[in-house]
Amino acid sequence: MSAPRSLAGPIAALINEFSKLPTIGPKTAARLVFHLLNRPRHEAQALAEAIIAVKDHVRLCSVCFSLTEDDPCAFCTDERRDASTICVIAEAKDIYAIERTGVYHGRYHVLGGLISPMDGIGPAQLHVKELVERIGSEKPNEIIVATNPNAEGEATAIYLSRLLQPLGVAVTRLAYGLPIGGDLDYADEITLAKALEGRRHL
Amino acid sequence: MRLDRVALSNFRNYSTLELALSSGVNVFLGENAQGKSNLLEAIAMLGTGKSFRTTRDAEVIREGLELASIAGTATMRAGSVHLSCTVTRGARGTRKVYTVNGQAVRYAAFLGRAKVVTFVPADLHLIDGAPSGRRGLLNSALAQDDVRYFRHLARYQRAVQQKAALLRSGEHPDAALLQIYDEAIVEIGTELMLARDHFVRELAREAERAHAHLAPHERLTVRYHPNVPFEGATRDAVITAFRARLRERAAAEAQRATCLVGPHRDDLVLELDARALDVFGSQGQKRTAVLALKIAEYTVMRDRNDEAPLLLLDDVLSELDDARARALVAVLAGAEQAFVTATHLPPELQAARRFRIVAGAVEAA
Repeated sequence: MSAPRSLAGPIAALINEFSKLPTIGPKTAARLVFHLLNRPRHEAQALAEAIIAVKDHVRLCSVCFSLTEDDPCAFCTDERRDASTICVIAEAKDIYAIERTGVYHGRYHVLGGLISPMDGIGPAQLHVKELVERIGSEKPNEIIVATNPNAEGEATAIYLSRLLQPLGVAVTRLAYGLPIGGDLDYADEITLAKALEGRRHL
Repeated sequence: MRLDRVALSNFRNYSTLELALSSGVNVFLGENAQGKSNLLEAIAMLGTGKSFRTTRDAEVIREGLELASIAGTATMRAGSVHLSCTVTRGARGTRKVYTVNGQAVRYAAFLGRAKVVTFVPADLHLIDGAPSGRRGLLNSALAQDDVRYFRHLARYQRAVQQKAALLRSGEHPDAALLQIYDEAIVEIGTELMLARDHFVRELAREAERAHAHLAPHERLTVRYHPNVPFEGATRDAVITAFRARLRERAAAEAQRATCLVGPHRDDLVLELDARALDVFGSQGQKRTAVLALKIAEYTVMRDRNDEAPLLLLDDVLSELDDARARALVAVLAGAEQAFVTATHLPPELQAARRFRIVAGAVEAA
């Protein structure tokens, strides 16, 4: 769907740009544009500059492939972080989910996706080789695989555990379970079955 | 269960429709292309969330519009339930939203709330058509019966697609990865096979009984024909047979770059007096067998759930001769609720609740 022809050129152009973004359809794009038109110029300027700054100053950390301004990134250089644990995630954004928990203080390694032959992604397309090299040089005790519990996340986790275990490092996987505050009645059967399998001593 | 009310909005040729329905048989009468099948399709979607006529959901949206909805209220043993399914055509494809009692739910929680058995003219080719049609019958019944089957089926199909893509990816697919997909295929595929084995035993018993009524001098047998044969329906037996078969066929799978082993290649075998029905059966014999199979599907789903599914017949009475049509009407008479489309009222259904459908409008007839 394109913006109506009658709109001024710059308006139509910005609606078009916004609607290329994920989760934003043409209606939301139009709302954003009209909102911006009602705001002072300096706010629009700040937004535009922030967008350009992200592209110009953010790059991949050469060690863990997270997004960073400085290479290596703060996670890799912070001496207070525990270098004996590496948490493996699919995408850089997953770091923020783990960091929000406040309970993990180790290092990270971003794969850059999940194994999915349908999408032409095998281990060679991901940062797997670099992970193996890090295990050789950094000698961690534990690798925590924190991929999504879907088919692709599952296959990737199993692949990594078989590849890495012979290197003499413990490989663990996030537990499956019931959401906190959830109700047994409302859990779907597969989640509940996995939670039963992964039960532990009190 | 009984569907008390159905409401459509911009669904196919209906702009708006509110219809109170009766228990027993409801007949939708009308000329061709007036909207009889559309109404039946909408009722089926309240159960399965999917159209039985198309895989492109957007087709059900009234031409030139962006949103179609179906809502219904059903009375079940557990009480009254309100269901709705909304299909939206958007810039990024078609979206469906399901609700149960006003709460948006995921498809898996919607599927099977209202169970349906459909019988459409295309089903008349169940016997001599491709195996996918026969697997479709098993999948539709089992997914509505147990949501775990639906989830297993989705995960299984995903694993098969990933493995096939890997096999196609080059001359030397990653062996470690191939093994991971094979393990998933065995683990999940085994659940599908056990569920099908169990279901087909019940289906066969009911189909053979129904067939004996329709054609007392011939004996129908229905058997599950798994792609991986196994002895004794235990999990361990299936897993052992499955792994062995995958090993045997590994070279052929690599060479043909496709998945040759597993329940995605299952079938049903139907025989009449021990002769393959698809090869040796006459048209009439095949129709009788299809009818027996459909009656059995209805009976098994009813008995498994202690709640009768809705029975939906799209224009099939006219496809059957008098004796077979009478047998089907006898089943209709015993159903808690059934919906039938026809161009003319069959004499056996004089007592049914009738609706006349003209150009997307419905009136009690």
